[in-house]
Amino acid sequence: MIYTVRVASKNQTDPKGQDLLAEIKRTLKITSINKIRTAKVYRLEGIKRKDVKKFAEKVLYEKIDQKIAYNKPVIKGANQTIEVAYKPGVMNPEVGSLLKAAKDLGIKLTAVDSSWEYAFFGKIRRDEAKNLITKLRLYNPLIEHIVDQKPKTLLISGKVGETKMVPIKNMSDGQLLELSGDKLFLNLEEMKVIQNYFKKINREPTDCEIETLAQTWSEHSGHKTFKAKIMINGEEKEPLIVRIKKEALKHKKNIVSAFVDNAGVMDFYDGWAINGKGETHNSPSAIEPYGGAMTGSGGVFRDIVATGQGAKTVISTDIFCLANWNMNLKKLPEGSLPPAYILSRVVAAVRDYGNRMGIPTNNGSFHFNDDFRAKPTVLVGAYGILPKKYAKKGEPQKGDIVVSIGGRVGRDGIHGATFSSGEMTQRTITVNAQAVQIGNAIEEKRTFDAIMEARDNDCIRAIQDSGGGGLSSAIGEMGSQIGVLVQLKNERLKYQGLSPWEIWISESQERMILAIPKNKIIKFKKICHKYNVEVSVLGMFDGSKKLKVFFGRQKVCDLQMQFLHQGLPQRVMKAKKVSQSALQENKNPPIPRTKGKWVEILQKVLTDGNICSKELILRMYDHTVQGTSVLQPFTGVSYDGPNDAAVIRPILNKPYGMVVSHGLNPILNRIDPYWGSIWAATEAIANYVAVGGVYQDASLVNNYIWPFPDEESLGSLDRSVDAVVDFMKILKIPVISGKDSLSSTYRSDDGLVLKIPPVLCISVFGKIPNVIKTVSSDFKKAGSTIVLVGRQDSSSMGGSVYFAKNNLLGESVPKVDLKILPKVLDAINHGISEGKILSCHDVSEGGIITSIFEMSVGAKLGAKIKIENRHKRVDYFLFNETAGCFMAEVADKTTARKLFGGTPYEILGETVPEQILTVANLFSVDVEKLKTLWKEPLEGIFK
Amino acid sequence: MERTLGGNIQMKPNVCILRADGINCDWELHYAFEKFGAVPEFVHINQLRDKSKRLKEFQILALPGGFSYGDDIASGKVLAVELISFLKDELQKFIAKKGLVLGICNGFQTLIRTGLLPFNNLGRMDATLAPNESGRFECRWVKIKTEDSKCLFLSGSDQALDLAVNHGEGKFFANDTNLKKIENQNLVVFRYVNEDGKPTQQYPQNPNSSLNAIAGVTDPTGRILGLMPHPEKFVDNTQHPNWRRFKGQILKPHGALIFENMIRFAKSS
Repeated sequence: MIYTVRVASKNQTDPKGQDLLAEIKRTLKITSINKIRTAKVYRLEGIKRKDVKKFAEKVLYEKIDQKIAYNKPVIKGANQTIEVAYKPGVMNPEVGSLLKAAKDLGIKLTAVDSSWEYAFFGKIRRDEAKNLITKLRLYNPLIEHIVDQKPKTLLISGKVGETKMVPIKNMSDGQLLELSGDKLFLNLEEMKVIQNYFKKINREPTDCEIETLAQTWSEHSGHKTFKAKIMINGEEKEPLIVRIKKEALKHKKNIVSAFVDNAGVMDFYDGWAINGKGETHNSPSAIEPYGGAMTGSGGVFRDIVATGQGAKTVISTDIFCLANWNMNLKKLPEGSLPPAYILSRVVAAVRDYGNRMGIPTNNGSFHFNDDFRAKPTVLVGAYGILPKKYAKKGEPQKGDIVVSIGGRVGRDGIHGATFSSGEMTQRTITVNAQAVQIGNAIEEKRTFDAIMEARDNDCIRAIQDSGGGGLSSAIGEMGSQIGVLVQLKNERLKYQGLSPWEIWISESQERMILAIPKNKIIKFKKICHKYNVEVSVLGMFDGSKKLKVFFGRQKVCDLQMQFLHQGLPQRVMKAKKVSQSALQENKNPPIPRTKGKWVEILQKVLTDGNICSKELILRMYDHTVQGTSVLQPFTGVSYDGPNDAAVIRPILNKPYGMVVSHGLNPILNRIDPYWGSIWAATEAIANYVAVGGVYQDASLVNNYIWPFPDEESLGSLDRSVDAVVDFMKILKIPVISGKDSLSSTYRSDDGLVLKIPPVLCISVFGKIPNVIKTVSSDFKKAGSTIVLVGRQDSSSMGGSVYFAKNNLLGESVPKVDLKILPKVLDAINHGISEGKILSCHDVSEGGIITSIFEMSVGAKLGAKIKIENRHKRVDYFLFNETAGCFMAEVADKTTARKLFGGTPYEILGETVPEQILTVANLFSVDVEKLKTLWKEPLEGIFK
Repeated sequence: MERTLGGNIQMKPNVCILRADGINCDWELHYAFEKFGAVPEFVHINQLRDKSKRLKEFQILALPGGFSYGDDIASGKVLAVELISFLKDELQKFIAKKGLVLGICNGFQTLIRTGLLPFNNLGRMDATLAPNESGRFECRWVKIKTEDSKCLFLSGSDQALDLAVNHGEGKFFANDTNLKKIENQNLVVFRYVNEDGKPTQQYPQNPNSSLNAIAGVTDPTGRILGLMPHPEKFVDNTQHPNWRRFKGQILKPHGALIFENMIRFAKSS
């Protein structure tokens, strides 16, 4: 029997209900509803009648401000009540806590679930209410459902499926391709290699073996494009990854480990090292942004922890490329979610996952362009710290034990297979669309806590995140040199009824795979037990050089590691040469002629989605947890001046700093992949240097999010990689980690093809010896001199916000002067470390006028500048977006000359006590007024 | 060194930094206690449950911030249930033998839900920390003032303290009777104040719309302190967002006050 307990607030107000009602009135223009109240619903199964009340009173409700009802509505007099619950089999993170609380109280409880209920007051039919919930996206049908019928049981049952043989030995080419289809994603050549292998060993493969090969050889794990031989207009070029690695390994000074582990590692101080990684989660985020962004965070945090013998994650960054939230929804392709919804849900995911993990979200950015409407780009970066002696990738030894710890395995994330809700009465499992998961941050947090203690007790030989491909990828990779024997029956399951191949490739979240030396296994288990972390002993690294997997006594996989990891043939891919953008603009907007026009265009620029204040969002992200932040995202008198990068002190009793920044611009890459990529890398390093980062002690992380590599897209990818290689050469610093996701192409059934703008995100992380030598962007005092440092390519306005506001794209991307760049960076760095630069801000979207505005905001001051006559287009001068230029505040002109004499620089004017921004002879405008407008745009979504 | 409750004047007080699944402000709290002269130690709640660690080895019990057990059901709820179920006697003994208790953010939520705050009624809730009126998680810097209260180690001051808040459920709430009782018994230790240093109901200076601007309370013994803002995140100058603006001025990190006084009191009592 299931008992239902409902809990609601006693207060007069119900913020959740009120927000919803306001939304209904605003968006749907429905006025017949007077009030909406919300309630929490708990269903308890396998509990004694007398215990229900005890459990409810001790755990589920607090009479001080809540009311309760047993097996009946708690909100009385509602016209309609709609309950939204997770679908059976989708992990509800709250269930674990409910079961724990019952256990702690000595109450027997077999199964439990929780959900939300919306009670509508006013004239409304049930189908109308359901319709409202659907239209407002209060639930996502992929993972949730509206409960129409009380469930008969919460338990999930099922029968174990059998391991099937796949008869491929005698298949024709057509049959092979059909088998590959859109499940294995292998091409004919690769399928034939598999066929020949099994012909040679003279047997048919099992479903497990086919799946293992498909996972290991997938683009996701195998990076086939980056490893491919590239033919450009018939000329052969080295594989992309080879070019990146070759150049990177020339700059070894700080490298501890690059391109071999889950994250790149560089040297820090006092025997410590730091690591970094960025990863995308675009496809899941497109269909279920909340779960997608959450599991994206969870995955990259695990990559940081699964480096060497274990690291602690200390910073998280979130970078989102989305369509404009106020885009005309008619432009939305079939099956795509409204951008405002995606924006609010990805932000909620970062808030709910990052905050719970206790990892500060210190840096990030938003990039709005309607061409992301079919698929957003969701890029999460994470950075960690670990003792150098534990920083090298671990290699399992013969006799080491394979364990899996953390979450249990369910059907989540298995391609093509999932639960259909049917009705909650049925609880059956059928094949359905792809499941999206909800992350459980606390599972991951305690797992990390246990790993830290296990590492410090020398219990860990090697560690791997169980992510894409699940056990098959993680264990297959760990055992690639030595061989491994696995018993799947030992794995902990969320519910019974999984087939062996499902256990083997399930991507259920919050799991880590470790190699534990035999003599440490008891100690290791004890540590896990202390942290409430479950352990499965899955097998042993056995020296067989084979991947042997059993389910009970049945052998379900027996593959040569050699074949699995080296059998994949190198691809040869054709690409088209991509031309460069123009040297200067051909189409030019008119120069604003009046003061009014100037202010109007400035306001337009500052309220653009790419430039407007993101403070509302950042206030929901915890950026002070761990106590490490020494340059917070917003500083200044009212804490609202935005900064360029994050600086933390990862070891609290030391002055050492870790600096993290990034740069990208999808629009520039579209016009010119080479100079667009140079721009991204320069912007990243400029952000880094603007706060006091020393670029010589920095490492780069590159993330490519590119359309499917047809000849044209591969051509532009090739140019982008060349740009990254050139950038490393110029600055003499390496890329030490990277990832590619080459699926930013959207195809609909009716033949519509949308290439999503190609994104190269360069992230920078590194070390400084003392955080005292850093600056924030807010002006420090009135009467200081404002200097522009760096060389503007002011005739190139392509892709700028200023052009966009004039309805132009532009054909010339700003070209960074790479010869001068290192000198500029050195000058800024010198000025900061000498304490002569009082505040600094890099110049990027919105140009120098935007930088000066933002510096004034933080200071509650104003600025007065004058533009030299030699600048023919004053509007270009003010709004040009050449990366690698800086606005610096220094005491006086003499200081400016001394600091910047060896580089291109221009003294623009000075800071003033009044909050007025003046450009001599052009306009003058109230900073407070601009600030209000600059803060407004996101209020519609987040306030 | 013998570690007995009370200790002598020279002895550094031992601090039990309580850990449980989802606690995440434990390192910075450890650092703060260490910096101001105590001997902190991480203790997982399972170690107290299996008695491999005992509260009587410590003079201070500190509950850090975080999301214990995900803050499922209500913030700090599951940890409160666990404390009451397994450590009720030990907690009562600890307080009776003059131990001090500090709960910050999630630790405060837990203390409220155990009933230790505000009236030292283990197992009975007389106040709550409800969801912020803004409906959002709030990560921002606020000002609070210390009042003259029952708290044995803090006295009232005109100095407004800048501290960070990071929470979604921090609205201090009690019914009229209890609220009066809390005020009459001088249990309010901290209130959110505005720029003029006056207690405020204004958002965001009062980030969660706490009744009577209450940011922290003590119990009638004055030995238990709970607050929503995070003093442990401002024990070094560089932890303040605007430390660069204060250059040249002598600035004592505002969180120091709480730790210094607590540790001094623990040493002397």
